[in-house]
Amino acid sequence: MSKQERRKAIIVFAVLAAVFLAASILTGGDGAEEETIQQVMRDAVLHDLNKVSLFGMAVNPGLLAGVIVSSFLIIFALICRIFVIPRFKMVPGRFQLVLETVVGLFDNMAKGNSKINGFLGAYIFAAGAYIFTGTLFELFGVQAVTLGGHSISLPAPLSDINGAIMMGCLSYLVIMSGGIAGNGVRGIGKTLKEYSLPISLSFRLFGALLSGALVTELVYYYSSLSYVLPVLVGVLFTLLHALIQAYVLTMLTSLFYGQVSDNTPKPPKEKKGKRGARNTSAAAVS
Amino acid sequence: MTGIPLNIDFQQIMLHLFNFTILFGALYILLYKPVKNFMASREQYYADMDSRAEDALRSAEDSRRTYDDKLRAFDEEVRSEKAKLRKDLDAERDRRMADAKADAEKLLSDARTEANRQKDEIISSAQKEITDMVTDAMEKLTLEQSASDAFDQFLDAAEAGAEQQ
Repeated sequence: MSKQERRKAIIVFAVLAAVFLAASILTGGDGAEEETIQQVMRDAVLHDLNKVSLFGMAVNPGLLAGVIVSSFLIIFALICRIFVIPRFKMVPGRFQLVLETVVGLFDNMAKGNSKINGFLGAYIFAAGAYIFTGTLFELFGVQAVTLGGHSISLPAPLSDINGAIMMGCLSYLVIMSGGIAGNGVRGIGKTLKEYSLPISLSFRLFGALLSGALVTELVYYYSSLSYVLPVLVGVLFTLLHALIQAYVLTMLTSLFYGQVSDNTPKPPKEKKGKRGARNTSAAAVS
Repeated sequence: MTGIPLNIDFQQIMLHLFNFTILFGALYILLYKPVKNFMASREQYYADMDSRAEDALRSAEDSRRTYDDKLRAFDEEVRSEKAKLRKDLDAERDRRMADAKADAEKLLSDARTEANRQKDEIISSAQKEITDMVTDAMEKLTLEQSASDAFDQFLDAAEAGAEQQ
């Protein structure tokens, strides 16, 4: 590309950007601010205003997002199964390497945390993929129409509290299954000792994703904040969240799974008598 | 469902659960298991290759050891064969030398015996000749010449006989 052509391309790009900027300012009006920011925020947390229809049922937009994300993942897996996996080579190509790295990451995480790791690897793989893709889904701003006729951008599936509770409780059940597999009835007791786990797992996920959703909503609500800033916000609150939350939940699940399924007997604690303690302190003083 | 804070809805939790269960099953069957199986098969393939290489190495090592043993045994056999041959050779040489010595001694003894025999023969023939000569001379002296002449002739004949011997 010569200098002249490059200059021309830059001018065209600048003109187009200016036109889109002017158009976005001129077309801004009451339509975009139909709901107040309080309503938007409240709905992002509670999902009680803008329900969407899923097979005739009024559900939170997060559930619809979850279904779309799951469908996307299943189609992706199906394509991989039909077209990619049969052509796997002993020396992997780039895409094969990505798939193997992801599967190997979760498999090793499961194996590294627990000796009895039946389906833990598969579970954290599915959970990680769901959280990561679901959080990234928010970035695409897929539109849906509410029962009230408004157009909304679908949120991350797990920014819906029901989705987060499902994930937290299911992870707790998986942890409990590890306890049963490793220690039988004692494993249930060990798991029940961590009674706060389903709540902490659920609300950690919900809080983390909701905070990202709220900030994004806030930024997109005001048109003056809609230039340049969304790029940073999108990267910080979506991409990082996607990675961090997927890692945190899968790591915590496998850690607790390993802890409750561990059946190695604990070494007996040494009891120090008064004399022994006195001798030790005397030795320390000397 | 009213009365539950944060708009928690059990039906929707169940729907989320249903959705995720299907996702889990599909991902497990379509992606996780096949990829893991492939990775395991590749690991097995390389483990087999490694074990085959180790077996080949071990077999080569065994062959080398066997070859070394055979070589050592062969060397030993050659050495023992050489020693045996040398021993046989020494024995043969000693035998031949003893034979040669015996032959030489026999030859020498025969030669000595023959020489003695010849000497005796010569002496006896010389004595006989001398006796004959003396007899002849005595006859001649007695019959034809005087005593002195006969004596001189006798002496001449004796000297001639001695010189001849």
